[in-house]
Amino acid sequence: MIGPELATFLQSGISILFGTRDELLRTDCGRAMGARVEKGGAELTVFLPNATAGRSLENLRQHPELAVCFCRVIDHHSIQLKGQAVAIRTATAKDRTAIDRYRAALAESWAFIGVPAAFTRRMSHWPCHAVRMRVESIFIQTPGPGAGGPLGAPQRRG
Amino acid sequence: MAERAFEGLRLEELRNCFQGVIPSIIATCSRDGIPNVTYLSQVYYVDPKHVALSFQFFNKTNRNIAENPYATITLQDPVTFAMWRLQLRYDHSEREGELFESMSMRIQMIASHTGMAGVFRLLSADVYEVLDIEAVTDFLLPPDPAFDAPIVPASPSPLTELRGLHTLLERVAGARDLEDLLARTLLALDELLGFSHAMVLVPDEARRRLVTIASRGYPDDGVGAEVEFGAGLIGTVAERRRMLRVLHMDEELRYGRAIRSRAEQCGAIGELAPEIPLPGLAGAQSQLALPLLEGERLVGVLAVESRDPLCFDDWDEAFLQIVASEIARGIERMQEDDAGEGDGADVRATPPRAPDRLGHVRRFVFYRNDDCVFVDGEYLVRNVPGKILHKLLVEYLHEGRTEFTNRELRLDPSLGLPKIKDNLESRLILLRKRLAERCPDVRLVPVRRGRFALELDCRIELVEKDSA
Repeated sequence: MIGPELATFLQSGISILFGTRDELLRTDCGRAMGARVEKGGAELTVFLPNATAGRSLENLRQHPELAVCFCRVIDHHSIQLKGQAVAIRTATAKDRTAIDRYRAALAESWAFIGVPAAFTRRMSHWPCHAVRMRVESIFIQTPGPGAGGPLGAPQRRG
Repeated sequence: MAERAFEGLRLEELRNCFQGVIPSIIATCSRDGIPNVTYLSQVYYVDPKHVALSFQFFNKTNRNIAENPYATITLQDPVTFAMWRLQLRYDHSEREGELFESMSMRIQMIASHTGMAGVFRLLSADVYEVLDIEAVTDFLLPPDPAFDAPIVPASPSPLTELRGLHTLLERVAGARDLEDLLARTLLALDELLGFSHAMVLVPDEARRRLVTIASRGYPDDGVGAEVEFGAGLIGTVAERRRMLRVLHMDEELRYGRAIRSRAEQCGAIGELAPEIPLPGLAGAQSQLALPLLEGERLVGVLAVESRDPLCFDDWDEAFLQIVASEIARGIERMQEDDAGEGDGADVRATPPRAPDRLGHVRRFVFYRNDDCVFVDGEYLVRNVPGKILHKLLVEYLHEGRTEFTNRELRLDPSLGLPKIKDNLESRLILLRKRLAERCPDVRLVPVRRGRFALELDCRIELVEKDSA
């Protein structure tokens, strides 16, 4: 379950990576364009751009297992969430406001490490799909010893 | 939608992406179908069909690969930000050899700067076969002319640089002595090739340290500054005798600090060493250091740096290697030339200058326990250069000598110079420069090759002590 402190971190305009798999257990990955913690921390909605996440969206319709990694680039503090996609829909105008806010925050945090805001603005972000995921386990992903260890009590292996 | 293009796209064309500037993403999947996604610090190019990933810590990625050898990674160009997705299959792991060494050096460098030498290290270089390369053509939207200046990739101009290299080599060939050779090289690197911050260090093998004997582009010339073998970029290059290039230094250090912080939180290790401040240019983002080798023997390290995070590329490496071999040969040649010079003439009859007519007094103190010399209460030099200065001052004060030969220094057992490859010339350069910096009224002036004069604009007082 995502606690309030973790929810703040996940929604703070940091890098979001997603990973999915197909029936042959081959993976796909890319960057999500924002996330929203829902249902008191039991669920997470991530926004996957149509242009770059086509294969993952196909994967998720057949195989709902989804991994989402959040990383604050300034200190590499990282958390990975794993779970099942329970709903996939086209993102709405309201979602777009959240996506635009995310892009602005991301541009600001990446600017600290020298990535030009002009580049961050150009990252493909619309149209998007909103994928709602039931969170089953949370892992510490900061590089170093213990990376991949569970945060709190995992309900399922990572 | 992204287009599949492996057949038309060669891995070599993605060379810019292998510099570790923009971290890659890796996704793997366990046998029971749970995907895992995380950042990778760097992907290494192995050959047109293989890449290598570094394995430092046991984590979920390794466990998944052991169960299911397929992975997907992204690569991004640090200049254009274009993205590619690569499908990989694990092939094998290497724990020694060329690939392992070159990957391990970069990790050793980060580890030593962040106080984790021996804690954070490469366990293996994991080689993957590249099954497919896909350009993620829609990753970036077209530039908005209202906001975005066009991104112009830096285009090297090999012809201009080759001419620069040719001129540099000509200038170096005309050097009178080692000091002149190093000064000419660093000046030419700056003027002709744009390397405006560069330094040369020579090894003191007995103390496992490198000492700076020439530099250009720094507010303080730093001559005499020391680096331990194995410490930081320069020390790592000296220890491993391999070139190392690091771009986006801030990012490398952030990565190292993140690992350090995790290691501390997990209590996985004992006490960590303090972080080592970066030497040289404040705020340097790109560093490239090359070993100066004569055969297998290390005769020095050439280091260049820049505040531009993407300053150095493969081309810089290629022609700096030529410059490095030329400097190494020059160092060797100067030693050999010099070994046969300066003998024959009796220099003991040199008339002394009349001390009474010189002005103020410089007070030198020589500490026998560590061969350290202080002048007027401030540290000047130590070790072999300290012993040399002590000898010169003693002979001046007792016998009135002002001219000396390199040969007599070589033959003096009290100086403890090795019988062969003694680096005497480098040690004299260091001494000469330290005097120029700290005590300019005492000078060592070359008279001709293998012979130099002690010139004084002051009176000398020399005190010897066992220890401080």
